[in-house]
Amino acid sequence: MFEFRFYEIWRSPEYVDAILNGCLTSFTLTLIGGITGFIMGLTLAIIQLPQNPAIIRLASVSYVEFIRNTPFIVQLFFVAFGLPLLLDYQWSFTTSALLAMTLNFSAYFAEVIRAGMNGVKTGQYEAAASLSLTRWQSLQYVILPQALANVLPSISSQFIFLFLTTGLISEIGVEELTWSGRFVADRTFRDFEVFIVLTVLYMLMVYIYLGGFQLIKRWAFPWWSDRR
Amino acid sequence: MSDTEAAEEKFAVEVRAMSKWYGDFRVLHDINLTVKDGERIVICGPSGSGKSTLIRCLNHLETFQQGYVSVNGHELNEGMKNVEAVRRDVGMVFQSFNLFPNLTVLDNCVLAQRKALKRSKLEAREIAMNYLERVKIPEQSDKYPTQLSGGQQQRVAIARALCMEPKIMLFDEPTSALDPEMVNEVLDTMIGLADTGMTMLCVTHEMGFAREVADRVIFMDGGVIVEENKPDEFFDNPQHNRTKTFLGQIL
Ligand SMILES: Nc1ncnc2c1ncn2[C@@H]1O[C@H](COP(=O)(O)OP(=O)(O)OP(=O)(O)O)[C@@H](O)[C@H]1O
Ligand SMILES: [Mg+2]
Repeated sequence: MFEFRFYEIWRSPEYVDAILNGCLTSFTLTLIGGITGFIMGLTLAIIQLPQNPAIIRLASVSYVEFIRNTPFIVQLFFVAFGLPLLLDYQWSFTTSALLAMTLNFSAYFAEVIRAGMNGVKTGQYEAAASLSLTRWQSLQYVILPQALANVLPSISSQFIFLFLTTGLISEIGVEELTWSGRFVADRTFRDFEVFIVLTVLYMLMVYIYLGGFQLIKRWAFPWWSDRR
Repeated sequence: MSDTEAAEEKFAVEVRAMSKWYGDFRVLHDINLTVKDGERIVICGPSGSGKSTLIRCLNHLETFQQGYVSVNGHELNEGMKNVEAVRRDVGMVFQSFNLFPNLTVLDNCVLAQRKALKRSKLEAREIAMNYLERVKIPEQSDKYPTQLSGGQQQRVAIARALCMEPKIMLFDEPTSALDPEMVNEVLDTMIGLADTGMTMLCVTHEMGFAREVADRVIFMDGGVIVEENKPDEFFDNPQHNRTKTFLGQIL
């Protein structure tokens, strides 16, 4: 029978450090990538609004489609190895990871936010217009707050999903949690135990993020009631 | 229209030979309508007759393809710039209230004052509270719209429109979405507004209201203004068969 030997991992401070650092790296990189990706996604979604010139709307739609239909790993390699060659400028792998995550997250967020804006009732646009607010003012003060509140649950699940794919950035040598797991497993040969520890840690971080989303909901959308 | 005519009479709303199409479908057919300052018009007619479309053309929520429309001296047309200037003079109240759920009652009333009229926060709040008092719900000012009853929401919507100090108020079936027991509080608010001399165009089937405040009742059917008369004449002595049938259905 298989015998669990978690102490093989705990007994070495080096392994514990690697895992804790991995957690921290995964958590903060995803957090930063999530924020920058959200800002970029919001921009992409706003660009797609019908009042904008067809050409830039098309550019935004194409970008979103392209990202969503290519594997993250390919985007990551392009940013880490292709882009530096093209631009003749080398940046760190962490920077590459962050950039790739931003570019990737933004497309998914744009799609969700766009759906949220479509979901705001036309009556809201009309009421804002009838009060002689400009389109941009209506968007800013009336439509976007409602759209974002509508899609906060989708944004949070999309974000969690993307977080769970960030293990891929270990492929370019960023020392995040998946990388640390492999590092420890290679040295202890306790793959199964490491796998379990990683699962628990990923889940723990997911719950921290979900708690964060609850706070955002309460702080940013105090008017939101679950009545609908 | 010649200059002399224009000088003689200044209309709050002037619609001449106006037509509107949705694709091939002609929703409004050769509409002629003039409304003087301070006049109160009630528009009624069967569902789909174009009542909403007509009043929504007056604040450019809809565009029309033929004819002439001017509102408070501004001529409206399809690709016009500076729509906001026209809308500043025209308040609108919708069937489904359309309050902004993300803002408190007070902020619903303050937002456009601040952003469109560039009033100071203090002034905007003062004016908002003033109108909320007028519609008799100042004590709800810190609540969110969803915490109010339908009748209260509609009164806030009226106050919100009035905060912009419009010259003309448009109402599109303001009581149709309300529970029966809340209809009167909204109608009373509208009657109060009529007493201040506001120019009003109301799409409504509340015939008691029409009799009490309307200077003229307009009956539309199939995108056409079929009949137009003083309320008593209109109700007691309708001229057209279509009007008679309609009145027979709703009274
Ligand atoms: N966006 C649109 N596209 C196509 N047809 C439309 C559109 N909006 C309204 N219509 C049609 O135009 C006609 C007039 O509509 P309108 O809403 O003005 O009628 P109404 O008199 O206000 O009716 P109700 O009493 O039901 O509100 C209807 O036949 C309707 O189906
Ligand atoms: Mg209507």
